[in-house]
Amino acid sequence: MTAPVIRTRGLVKDYGRTRALAGLDLEVQRGEVYGFIGPNGAGKSTTIRILLDLLRPTAGEVEVLGQAPSQGGPAQRARIGYLPGELALVGRLTAREHLHHLAALRGGRGVERIDALAERFTLELDRPFRALSRGNKQKVGVVQAFMHEPELLVLDEPTSGLDPLLQHEFLALVRETAARGATVFMSSHVLREVETVADRVAVIREGRTVDVDSVQSLRARAGQRVALTFAQAPDPAPFAALAEIRDATVDGNTLHCRLHGEPDGLLKLAARQRVTRWTARDLDLEDLFLDLYRHGPNGADAEVPDAR
Amino acid sequence: MRADRLPSLRRVLRDHRRAFWIWGAALVAITVFYMSFWPTMGEAMQEAIRGMPQGIMAAMGYDRMDTAGGYLNAVVYALLGPILLLVHGLSLAVRLTAGQEEDGTLELDLASPVPRARLYWERLAGVWLLLLGLVVLVSLGVLVSNPLFDLGVTLPNVAAAGLGLWLLVAGFATLAFALGAASGRRGIALGAAAGVAVVTYVFRGVANAAGVEIYADLSPFSWFLEPDPLANGFHLPSTLQLLAISLVAAPLGLWRFLRRDLLV
Repeated sequence: MTAPVIRTRGLVKDYGRTRALAGLDLEVQRGEVYGFIGPNGAGKSTTIRILLDLLRPTAGEVEVLGQAPSQGGPAQRARIGYLPGELALVGRLTAREHLHHLAALRGGRGVERIDALAERFTLELDRPFRALSRGNKQKVGVVQAFMHEPELLVLDEPTSGLDPLLQHEFLALVRETAARGATVFMSSHVLREVETVADRVAVIREGRTVDVDSVQSLRARAGQRVALTFAQAPDPAPFAALAEIRDATVDGNTLHCRLHGEPDGLLKLAARQRVTRWTARDLDLEDLFLDLYRHGPNGADAEVPDAR
Repeated sequence: MRADRLPSLRRVLRDHRRAFWIWGAALVAITVFYMSFWPTMGEAMQEAIRGMPQGIMAAMGYDRMDTAGGYLNAVVYALLGPILLLVHGLSLAVRLTAGQEEDGTLELDLASPVPRARLYWERLAGVWLLLLGLVVLVSLGVLVSNPLFDLGVTLPNVAAAGLGLWLLVAGFATLAFALGAASGRRGIALGAAAGVAVVTYVFRGVANAAGVEIYADLSPFSWFLEPDPLANGFHLPSTLQLLAISLVAAPLGLWRFLRRDLLV
């Protein structure tokens, strides 16, 4: 087994008296697309800035590409592509000039891919920053992170500001990048943004890893919100009795419940009556968070499950 | 493809090209404008100075304003030059460290495979070069005024005065730069550096007016002005004194910059 591309153990970061990270554990394997999920303020950007050696940890271990960021220096950062969470682009410089500057900081690496990437994301290279929308600035960030084909991409909320079409294009780029063997570490506060590309997801809260799992099993655990409307008002009791059903309530003729697991039992039970309308929606991350916070794995002192 | 050396330095110069020419044009215009008064004001000035309290005039360096060189020295090298260049130089220096850190534009540069120290030195070099350019323009303004208004200064002495002005302003700018890099706080760095500049400027004036030259000698403005380079030319000890500000401030700022959390 090769060494993980990113590994942290008991990572702690304090800002004065505020504890931003309280013992974060991560292990990202080579070639993985790794989702890093948590609500705003959970410590995602702090973690990412430690990986880039912008911040120094208060305690704990951190290794990126086999070396501590504070030791790795320029040689390590040359192998990383970074997209900041809040990309600041100000002034009358154009995207082209800025991208050429960033390439120059890398000894010219990536300059030949600027035009192709800009075209792919319909980024107008010759307009000054102040004339660029938030989405267009985000495109500049995407181009500069990918242009030198780094072996590790660290992306902080990469899809924010991109419209759905470009989000789709961005996710395709992430898949291609992973296909050529690079590792992608991307944060988001919305699971939807990473679930289609991520192999595994770490959920963090208040500076700790609450959960690490594959997207499929996370999704299964998050469950679905199901609404079944019947011709007549149903009795919630038999539904509530099913092991995979939670929070079954009846509102008029409609049964609302949450499904965790296979829908088979629920469907067979429902089919005994006439069903006039049916919706099932995957729970989004907010629901999953609430669940993780309420039910564990073990609440605030959660042990990190070994997910391999 | 041409190898792009010193990308951070080039970026600083490029970003400030416009501001440089605006400031440069203004400085040249002001210099020539004030010097153009000399032929008509010389007589009146001598009269006016005789009627003023000697202490205060000496404190402001106006006691020698009855000569062309003294007038040039008092107006351009002791007053307008340092003040305008300090206003520009300090804000430039702080913008390139704490300012760009606070607004986030430094983030991608810091995440690039360029050592932090290199980023620091290249940006500081940018400050020095821009200020050098402006001092050269001021000096050209003086040299152009020289035959026009019969100022009677020599090229080597204008160069010596320019060197002193550059080292003075760049010294305070380096202090501001180092404070910005060390603190990451624009307001703190600008306030502290400007505070030191104002206090040492006023302190020199007050100490001179009170006749305690030993105290006045503590001010970097004295290091620059007391040898009177416009009249006496290059003066090594004072040049080294002015250089010392930067030689102390710059490494200390870097030392802290390499060790602290950035973009917090």
